[in-house]
Amino acid sequence: MIGSQAEARLVLLRNVEETVSVINQKLDKQQRGESQSMAVTLYIDGREGFFYTNVFDDEPLRRFVQRSIDMTRLLAPDEARGLVSPERYYKGDGAPLLNFDESLEHTPTDVKQELAFANNAEVYGKDDRLISVESRYVDMTHQAHFLTSNGFSASVSKTRCTLSTIVSVQGEGDARPMDGWGQSRLFLHDLPTSGIGDIALQRSLRKIGQRPVKAGHYTMVLESPVAPSLLHPLFSAMGGQALQQHASFLEGKLGEKIGSDLLDVVDNPHLPGTRGASYFDYDGAATQVRKVFDHGKLCTYFIDTPMSRKLKMPPTTQSIHHIIQTPSQFSLDEVLRQQGECILVTDFNGGNCNPVTGHFSYGIEGFLCRDGIYVQPICGMNITGNMLDLWQNLIQVANDADPYETELIPSLVFRDVSFS
Amino acid sequence: MNIRLNKACDFSELYAERTETRSLELTDGLVSQATQTLIQGVGVRELNGESTRYTYYMPSQMPDWFRSTPVRLEASAKSSSCGIGAEVDLLHKIESMAHEVDARVVKVRAVLASTITDVSILNTLADIPVHDHRERHVLMVHTVLEQDGRHEMGYASCSLAQPVTEYGDEVWQELVSKALGQADHLFHAITPEGGDMPVVMAAGASGILLHEAIGHAFEADFNRQGTSIFSDKMGLQICRPGITIVDDATRPLCAGTFAFDDEGVPAHCTHLVHDGKLESYLHDRISAKHYGVEPTGNGRRQSFRHAPVPRMTNTYMLPGEASEEDIIRSVKRGIYAQSFTNGQVQIGAGDFTFFLKTGFLIEDGRLTAPIRDINIIGNGPRALADISMVGNNLMMDTSAGYCGKAGQQVPVGQGIPTVLVDRLTVGGMGSI
Repeated sequence: MIGSQAEARLVLLRNVEETVSVINQKLDKQQRGESQSMAVTLYIDGREGFFYTNVFDDEPLRRFVQRSIDMTRLLAPDEARGLVSPERYYKGDGAPLLNFDESLEHTPTDVKQELAFANNAEVYGKDDRLISVESRYVDMTHQAHFLTSNGFSASVSKTRCTLSTIVSVQGEGDARPMDGWGQSRLFLHDLPTSGIGDIALQRSLRKIGQRPVKAGHYTMVLESPVAPSLLHPLFSAMGGQALQQHASFLEGKLGEKIGSDLLDVVDNPHLPGTRGASYFDYDGAATQVRKVFDHGKLCTYFIDTPMSRKLKMPPTTQSIHHIIQTPSQFSLDEVLRQQGECILVTDFNGGNCNPVTGHFSYGIEGFLCRDGIYVQPICGMNITGNMLDLWQNLIQVANDADPYETELIPSLVFRDVSFS
Repeated sequence: MNIRLNKACDFSELYAERTETRSLELTDGLVSQATQTLIQGVGVRELNGESTRYTYYMPSQMPDWFRSTPVRLEASAKSSSCGIGAEVDLLHKIESMAHEVDARVVKVRAVLASTITDVSILNTLADIPVHDHRERHVLMVHTVLEQDGRHEMGYASCSLAQPVTEYGDEVWQELVSKALGQADHLFHAITPEGGDMPVVMAAGASGILLHEAIGHAFEADFNRQGTSIFSDKMGLQICRPGITIVDDATRPLCAGTFAFDDEGVPAHCTHLVHDGKLESYLHDRISAKHYGVEPTGNGRRQSFRHAPVPRMTNTYMLPGEASEEDIIRSVKRGIYAQSFTNGQVQIGAGDFTFFLKTGFLIEDGRLTAPIRDINIIGNGPRALADISMVGNNLMMDTSAGYCGKAGQQVPVGQGIPTVLVDRLTVGGMGSI
């Protein structure tokens, strides 16, 4: 049906998701859905076609597949494209990753609704300045089976549940500051059922009176929940396609020191019970524990199979899985006290990083702090600079990374950041 | 599976959708990658008061009241002289033109993507379903230029109602020129000093100002909850008389155009701001009932996997009387903002941002040094009140814009004539 030099990868997917949203102690929304779909990647004489559908009826599916084959045949051959060679496939010898809660999708919606209502009740009516309290329970069950024409066969099953609350309060003038807090776990029985609403309320109240402070160069403390945001431009620039297209400010810098000694990150996809745990990539290649930055030195690029062939570099991995920045022994409060005057950045408001040059400009929210005291809530300011300069100026890390996230990045301290 | 309306609740709705997409990508001189998808499903929504119960299904058979047009992508995929064949040819022409126009070009990447969606909606308010057929065809061009060992990247895109191959060559040629021009601009551009300053927003893509500064804050779900900074400003003068801003899903050939919204409400042109006064929020059925008004046709969703929420469609400001030259001439020192990459808003605080990709300094009423890569911040109500001049040159932005909200992406259009905002915060190196 396909041709002589044909290969294929088939992925069968099943997802179940459920959401309960409660606003001001009233049920706002309850949503549930289940989907089954399949993704096929065809390689016909170096031509690559990717096809995805949830239509499984015999005749429509047959037409769709035939159309996919016809379409792929019209493409140009590219010798870089093809399946992973079998020796790179995951062999199925890893220990159980313990990241699937079989009971999650069978847990009654009432139980999930109670969690959202209880979380909402922690806050609703507790402060005269409250405008709105929205609490949300979300869960997801993901199952996939991978099959390739050159012998790979493996399955993935993952679950995740999240409880969160967003609080809006009356601020100064017309302003209505808003902030939130949430926690995620792989197993429902591990999910914290109290305390999230209280933290969300405190985070919102402390934003009352936000205004810009004097522009200038400050030490910036980047709070842990948003710290990964400034690593993402580095990860993008480490991607094979960005490098091959000369659209990366890290091109030619493999093995060079691009950050301070404190930039020390490992990608460990093999830790059971963690969110990013996975023994293989989407293409079936076995993952590895991999040093990403070693005391500031750039240790790897993210090179998948086609980019490996185009760049003539060894393949590594498609992307990060479960990254961990080496922490210090200091809490965020201790770090803030050590810095004297600094700006604690708690959220970003827009902005971007030029992937070719590394120049960035981001809107920020946060607090002017002196000796660990929150002096002034801040909004309406930008930070501007270049990624390579920024990471050379990393002068401290804390120990407050959330162990239940995919990216375990504690609060980070950068000196001499331009705020305007 | 027999999916039915539940007539025991306040409002019940069935939303059936089939979406086909196809994309072709040229990289390194080869069109060697293609993507095709076919997805269909049904969303069931039941409203009781302001509470929503939503379930989606992927039935093997779509309901008999669902109507879809013949599969256009299927027919075109079989021919090499039209459809995919013509698109492959077009991608190669794009690459050739880029190399011919500028010898510094080292990489060209071009993507043609088509999305064809058929929607049928049945609810307890009507006996017969409404149907809508939506097409969106996008062309994206990336170019990388090398000069003195340095690389810069340019990008341009357009969103069209018909396949790009059915338009004249000038459509794709303009995109190639824009992408090359942007990369060239970046070689010469500086990062300006930061600070508060007047900003002249160029006509067209600067519609992002309306989208971020006020558009989201006018979405009625935020106002119904009291979380928008505009929650208590209905009917008030919020900017200078003479300024009128509309959200218009009926404007032909724009990214946010449709016949019916995703709740089956006919497309509408809503005056958000009329002669400087806040006249209407953007409503879905829930918020319209809450406020005791008619829905404005702004209930939108990404797909059958999502319940609809109030969203913008095509948001733009009507033209004023000033010429762009006069607007620039009125500024002693500021910036002229030309192209953007993304924007964001904090609904409650009203602080919005957009990232300026290219622009110019304005010094003594003249455009001078090219500038790049800065974030601009403003506060919605203040920025709106600070619009002091409106140009006579309304232009719709034809680039392929998406808007994200509540985990859902929908295509939106925007436009604006050249305007002067007396004061915005410009992110830059150092400060003034």
